[in-house]
Order: sequence, then C-alpha cells, then structure tokens
Amino acid sequence: MKVNEVDRKVTIKDNELLLDVIRDKVGVKSVKASCWRGECGICTVLLDGKPVKSCLVLAVEAEGRDVKTAEALAPEGQLSPLQKIFVEKGAMQCGFCTPSFVLTAHYLLSVNPDPTESEIRDYLSGHICRCGTYKQIIEAILEYAKQNKQGKQAGR
Amino acid sequence: MSFGSSYLTLPDFEYVKPKSLQEALQFIDQHKDEAEILAGGVGLFAFMKERLVEPRWVVDIKAIKELQTLRDDGSKGLSIGAAVNMNQLLDFAPIKDKYKALHDCISLLSDPLLRNRSTIIGDICEALPYVDGPTPLLIFDTEVEAASVKGTRRIPMNEFIRGVAENALEPNELAAAIHLKPPPENSKSLFLKHTSSSEFSIVNVAALCANPSRPEARTMKFAYGAIGPIPKRVHEVDGIFKRKAPVPRLIDEAIDSIKKSAEPMTDVLAKAEYRSHMLEVLAVRAFRRLLGS
Repeated sequence: MKVNEVDRKVTIKDNELLLDVIRDKVGVKSVKASCWRGECGICTVLLDGKPVKSCLVLAVEAEGRDVKTAEALAPEGQLSPLQKIFVEKGAMQCGFCTPSFVLTAHYLLSVNPDPTESEIRDYLSGHICRCGTYKQIIEAILEYAKQNKQGKQAGR
Repeated sequence: MSFGSSYLTLPDFEYVKPKSLQEALQFIDQHKDEAEILAGGVGLFAFMKERLVEPRWVVDIKAIKELQTLRDDGSKGLSIGAAVNMNQLLDFAPIKDKYKALHDCISLLSDPLLRNRSTIIGDICEALPYVDGPTPLLIFDTEVEAASVKGTRRIPMNEFIRGVAENALEPNELAAAIHLKPPPENSKSLFLKHTSSSEFSIVNVAALCANPSRPEARTMKFAYGAIGPIPKRVHEVDGIFKRKAPVPRLIDEAIDSIKKSAEPMTDVLAKAEYRSHMLEVLAVRAFRRLLGS
C-alpha cells in the first residue's frame, strides 16, 4: 500500500486491522487508537482520499491503495495553513485527537471550501475530543475558510 | 499492540475478494454459514470483535461490479446494489429529490466517516431492532433481490426481517440489491426518529403522502420501526386520509390504527410504554408536516 506517498510493503495476517498495521508495521503514530469500535474517530485515515475509521477497516482491504495520515498534510517539520490556525486558535488541549480532527477538516474543506458552522459540526460528528475543545476547533476551521476566501479575492 | 481484551482484535479468518457475482455466489454456496459477507464492515467487525460472530471466511464484495449499481429508472424505480455506501446514496440527486424519507434517514445515521463504509443493504441484513434503514424502505414498497447460484428471487421488504438479527435469506443467498418503487406524482415523504442517549433508535417512523391538499386524491403510507423486533408498514393508514374530514380527526383515526398494530417491547434502551407514547408523538408530527397543518 501507499502510505503518505511512499510505497510500503508489509506482511500481514487477514484479520489485522488497518489501524494496527499503520501504527505498528508502518510506524505512523499520528493515527491513534482509543475506542476500537468506530465511535471516537481518533484512528481516522484518508483511504483513497476519503476519511474512514481505520479500526473498522481490514489492512488487507488497503492493499494497493492510497492511505494518507496527518503527516501527508505538510512537508516534514512544517505545518499546513490549517494546522497553523489550529495552533493559533488553541484548538486542542492534550492534542491526542488533533491529527484526526485536522485530517477530517482538511477533507471537509477540500469538498466544501466555505462550510457553515452547522455543516462543520455535522461533519465532525464522528469525532470525539475528550478535552472538549470543539468550540476552538470549529472556530479554527471557520477562520481558515474565511482567510482562504479573502486570499482568493485578493488574488483576483 | 494488544491489551488482551477481545474487542480490540478480530478472530482469525481467511479473507476472500471475489471479482464477479458468480464467483461470490459459488463461494457462499460452498461455505454457507461459515462465510460472512463484508460490505461496509461496520456491523460485522463490531460483532466479530465481541466474538459474537466468528466466520471461517470473510467475503469482501466491494470489488464486484454488479453490486455497485446505483440507478434511477424513473417510473420503474430506484435500484441500489449491495456494495454502494451510504455517502454515495446521500450524493445521488434522485434520492434527495424523490426518496426524501430515505435521504433523511441516511443523513441521520451514525456519522459521515462511517457512512463512507456502511451500506443500506448491510443495515437491513443486520435486522436488529434499532436499525433505521428498513423503515423508509417500507413506504417505497421495496423488494430485496436475493441472489444464489440457482438464480434470483425478490423478497418484499415487509417479509425480509423475521426477528431479532434474523432475515429471510437462505445461507447460500446474498442480498444483491434493493429495488424501490417510485413515489406517486405530487408526493412528499419524511423520516423521523427518537433515539436513546446512546444514539440507538427507540422509535422511528417514515411516511409518504400524495396530493396532501386534495382530500379526494390524497393517499398516505406509513411505517414504523425500532419499537419491536420487526419494522412494520401500517396498511390500515393508507385509506384513512382519502376523505374530506378535518385533518386532526383523520390523524386521530390513523393514530388509533397505528397503536393497535404496534407491539412495543421493553428492553435496555426503553420501556414499552415510553416507546408507545413516542410512536404517537412522531406519527402525529409526521402527519402534520406532510399535511401542512
């Protein structure tokens, strides 16, 4: 499978979850494990560009496919513009869920560049932030959309 | 990583990914109950992690072209294949335009990420009481296309669910598609549900009304689910609204026949009395919205 643009060859058993293989065999640790039953969203990856919960996907299903995690959002050592705004707005407390929120927010903004607050709430409804920083996360996404719109208008 | 708890891992099985429907049908004909179908996996993997299901084979049907059908044939109706996920259904314009009760239902199911995997056919095959999918399908007179090596047969939705986690499929059959009948001209439909704090439905209703403002031509279809093991279409309601009488009186009559047909259950999610009460609340709400009163 291709993980963050790099072809990775791993040996797996049929019953292994994509979550475990990404973390333990590929070594990408931004994908976290928590509920293991599709409720918390913390294990989100983009599979062929779409967000899925990797605790409910078999690793073998990802054979030959494209997997992206938060590491793919910006070159190593740098932050994507959305990640920067997450930091500026304090859209995290412990940070454990942040990679998953950022990943889903990136996907949402790629299909809906100017979402309303309720659209953001709806789209993030499969994610849990145990520190309760939802307000700041939503503000960060709205701020990104606003800046992006202004940037586009200024560029015209 | 393993913490030793069963629900973190899946039991051992062998994964197969047939490329054609024929290949899949031959496989399940050979292995029957030892094979489980993988479409979205949202239900299957949850049950497998709990060791409630331990198949020898997991048959992934997502690569099968014939099961990826999503087609609106106008007056012939709508066909949905077993490998089509919920978000594909939400993005399909004819469903939003004409099969609104189904669209409402799916948009309230789980969350957008799980909907990239879960399927409506997986939902109905699971046949658990709190599953929402069957209820809107009942008001569109849906048929389930069951395929086996011997051919296909169509099972009406109202005969498909037989009990808790029990559907009408034979061990060598696969639910390949569902077929919805088109709603009549000048009709509206909707879906409403009431959930427990764990987000499982304890009551859901779907209704479809044609010609709401012309009593002589008005028709209504009504179904409910989640209050007992089997979702039901209440046929007694069909004709009640086709009369010139004050709408509140018609609604009262409809509620009477709905409550007569209902056998609400008590379980860990809610008591029978509460389900019965909420069924009435949702039904009244649905009728009022559709009739604009």
